[in-house]
Amino acid sequence: MEAVYVIIGGGIAGISCIEAISLLDESASIILISATPFVKAVTHINPLTKMLAEFSVEEKPFDYISSMFPSVNVVIDSAIKIDPVQRTVTTSTNKIVNYQKLCICTGASPKMIATDCDHVFGIRDIDSAKQLEEKLKDAKRIMVVGNGGIATELIYEIEGVEIIWAIKDKHISATFIDPGAAEFFQDRLVQKDKDAAATVVKTVKYTVGEGEGTKCTGAALGPHWHDRINLIAKNNASKITVEYEVEVSRVKFHGEDGENWPVYVELTNGKTVGCNFVVSATGVIPNSETISIVNGTFDLAEDKGIKVNSLMETNLPNIYAAGDVCSASWPTACHWFQMRLWTQARQMGSYAGRCMVESKRGEETIVDFCFEMFTHVTRFFGYKVILLGLFNAQNLDRNYELLLRVTKKNEYIKLVVSDGKIQGAVLIGDTDLEEMCENLILNQLNVSEFGEDLLNPDIDIEDYFD
Amino acid sequence: MVVRSYNDELKYLEKINSYCWRIKKGFQPNMKVEGVFYVNDALEKLMLEELRNSCRPGMVGGFLPGVKQIANVAALPGIVGRSVGLPDVHSGYGFAIGNMAAFDMSDPEAVVSPGGVGFDINCGVRLLRTNLTAKDVLPIKEQLAQSLFDHIPVGVGSKGIIPMNARDLEEALEMGMDWSLREGYIWAEDKEHCEEYGRMLNADPSKVSLRAKKRGLPQLGTLGAGNHYAEIQIVDEIYDKWAASKMGIEEKGQVCVMIHSGSRGFGHQVATDALVQMEKAMKRDKIEVNDKQLACARINSAEGQDYLKGMAAAANFAWVNRSSMTFLCRQAFAKQFKMSPDDLDMHVIYDVSHNIAKIEEHMVDGKQKTLLVHRKGSTRAFPPHHPLIPVDYQLTGQPVLIGGTMGTCSYVLTGTEEGMKETFGSTCHGAGRALSRAKSRRNLDYTTVLKKLEEQGISIRVASPKLVMEEAPESYKNVTDVVNTCHAAGISKKTVKLVPIAVIKG
Repeated sequence: MEAVYVIIGGGIAGISCIEAISLLDESASIILISATPFVKAVTHINPLTKMLAEFSVEEKPFDYISSMFPSVNVVIDSAIKIDPVQRTVTTSTNKIVNYQKLCICTGASPKMIATDCDHVFGIRDIDSAKQLEEKLKDAKRIMVVGNGGIATELIYEIEGVEIIWAIKDKHISATFIDPGAAEFFQDRLVQKDKDAAATVVKTVKYTVGEGEGTKCTGAALGPHWHDRINLIAKNNASKITVEYEVEVSRVKFHGEDGENWPVYVELTNGKTVGCNFVVSATGVIPNSETISIVNGTFDLAEDKGIKVNSLMETNLPNIYAAGDVCSASWPTACHWFQMRLWTQARQMGSYAGRCMVESKRGEETIVDFCFEMFTHVTRFFGYKVILLGLFNAQNLDRNYELLLRVTKKNEYIKLVVSDGKIQGAVLIGDTDLEEMCENLILNQLNVSEFGEDLLNPDIDIEDYFD
Repeated sequence: MVVRSYNDELKYLEKINSYCWRIKKGFQPNMKVEGVFYVNDALEKLMLEELRNSCRPGMVGGFLPGVKQIANVAALPGIVGRSVGLPDVHSGYGFAIGNMAAFDMSDPEAVVSPGGVGFDINCGVRLLRTNLTAKDVLPIKEQLAQSLFDHIPVGVGSKGIIPMNARDLEEALEMGMDWSLREGYIWAEDKEHCEEYGRMLNADPSKVSLRAKKRGLPQLGTLGAGNHYAEIQIVDEIYDKWAASKMGIEEKGQVCVMIHSGSRGFGHQVATDALVQMEKAMKRDKIEVNDKQLACARINSAEGQDYLKGMAAAANFAWVNRSSMTFLCRQAFAKQFKMSPDDLDMHVIYDVSHNIAKIEEHMVDGKQKTLLVHRKGSTRAFPPHHPLIPVDYQLTGQPVLIGGTMGTCSYVLTGTEEGMKETFGSTCHGAGRALSRAKSRRNLDYTTVLKKLEEQGISIRVASPKLVMEEAPESYKNVTDVVNTCHAAGISKKTVKLVPIAVIKG
């Protein structure tokens, strides 16, 4: 088989890459090699500002791709070998696929605190989400380990069970928010004040095809993944206990409490907690070494990601990488940094597609503007959370100040100001300030004369800078 | 800033007639000319309340009330006539939004100021007509709104449907709507009904930073967020039957489409780059201004010329953007009604610019002068027989499109001789807002706003629900007050009133 463009991986990055290639070159021949018969499609794009968009990700059967993009052939198989000299990809069933431009979008896998254990698992793809739903039904007490986005969403979404949340930081959700914002969320941690509309839990039946049982995991879930699974346990006693500044020292299967829990976790603070199961949500490791390379090796970054330059090119010719599997190794703009998020998987995938087409045509590529500023929107504890630029004052040492506006149970606004200019923002709740903040960060307009008046609640300045 | 009590401040303001106030010299330091603002009773109250609030210690800090900003503009070098505040005036960066000011090109000291154009360069409104009536559209308005929503990528994040690479962008920046025409997105006659024929000839893409181009590249053919929208509207009232019929508006209930958009991130970057350059130029040329936000450069300086060329490129970008959306609108209607856009008579009635600076000829003290006219949140409104308006409107005066806010109404006005004399052929641009809106914010409830909009029978497509509230009628200086004031003051004339039946929001 052969195609001009070959994409390995049917996750968000891979599909976004295909979308971009198809948009720029309708007749381009494209082959998608996907290990599972399901692919991810970005739908319901809800743009909030020029650079910031919320979107849903839907799991679609592979023929969706061919129906949306007729020039795409889908090969359901695992890629096992790449030869950059012959420009071929070999699959597990020995199919050989020739490419002119190849993009690796194989994603990442959850870091596990313990492997080979039925009672410890990560949430990554639809299968593991389904596993969680199954196990939760009869659970009385569970432990969530990790302090990132998935852990935070789980804590809020899971009901009817006692949760022990083990985090290594001094405050919750530290990957994204500062202690102040964590405090803002405290109320919700105690009392989940979900409004009626938000609690409609849609339970979707999954038809997992023949891919089930193989070792290849499917692509990562998208945002709002928990909308589609039932996270309410039968046991009605919801209770959340946070264990701060701890890590897991040991997982064992017998405890001394005489309660006979299926699994016991020993924490670094000396406590041992028994529970039905443990969700490990401690981040991901790029799937950069699942495919063997003949006639070359990928340059890997410290985090195991495949290094890519500003054109999404790896060190091997005609091979690109995008999404969680890659590590941005170009001198990045001062308000951008890489985080392995849906948002960036989509941006990198699209951009890689454009790079591939333009390189094929010998055109000059202008680095996509989305890499000028970090943007992410998510939902924690029922609030919209928007993160812009250096939202946690990343790379600013101590040379910054914060502008803050907090209305209890309503909004939390934090602006990071350095040198009289806004460098980053955390906007929680419906603040209406995302577009203004985006422009002020990008423009680097000096706003020192406004001082804290910039957030004066009596003044609406959304169109002041128009 | 001069510190005076509210009553002392009032001594500098004088009501000339029921719709017009004079701002005397001395209200702010170094005023070269007087200021003027147009209000009716309701708007007058808002305007003065804003000033009164600013006189209270610590009230608004870094933010100046509109009336002070108008006066500060009157202190810029080279300004002629008066610094004019239109009825929808409200605080903005440097110049108030709804402020116009003209500078004498023959005066070597005269300046151009990016704050007088605004960041969203050539933000503007375009109106398309159709030969459909309410009864054709009302039964399927949901589907039509959905279809428009599908066709027009709102905001960005979603790529513009019209693909564009770096070379396309360069050409679009230089050619404006001539690019859209060459690429087959518009009809040749669309250009006739745009200011400048949809192309500023002095545009020079080489004066635009790479960052601006990068920022603009993924945004073409997209509506934008914030106050940008497309609306399906129906004609609600015709005030001037003859002028309306010249625009192809024949009857109440006729369906039109209004598109409100600008140059978005691209314009922001052009303006920002210029502000940085101009701060340096001000030091060099020893230009002094009352407010740091009024950064400016002499028109004939390298910085001034570079800005005007970059601004023109941004203006072209905005026209191409509105043209791309025109294309997508026509597609959506054609698909829905299974008729060609031509058979649906989907002509551009007119396209106006709100945020722009242009070189124009005007009479000043009985002499013809070449002026650089800054209009920020203000619309050009040329009278009948003016050489720069299209032949179709030679007898009526230039159509002026006033976009309302969601759930309210929009207007078409025409330019007048009075406006040419009093406001350099300028009028309002839409609704405004008061600087301090705490009151409305507390009173506003998202659910009631939505309810209210639903009661009015318009279907709403909101990408970001909260934006409905941001644009809610209550938060604004009412567009009807604004338009009636312009009409009563004679600076433009009411022709048609439109009401929305469906909104597509960025």
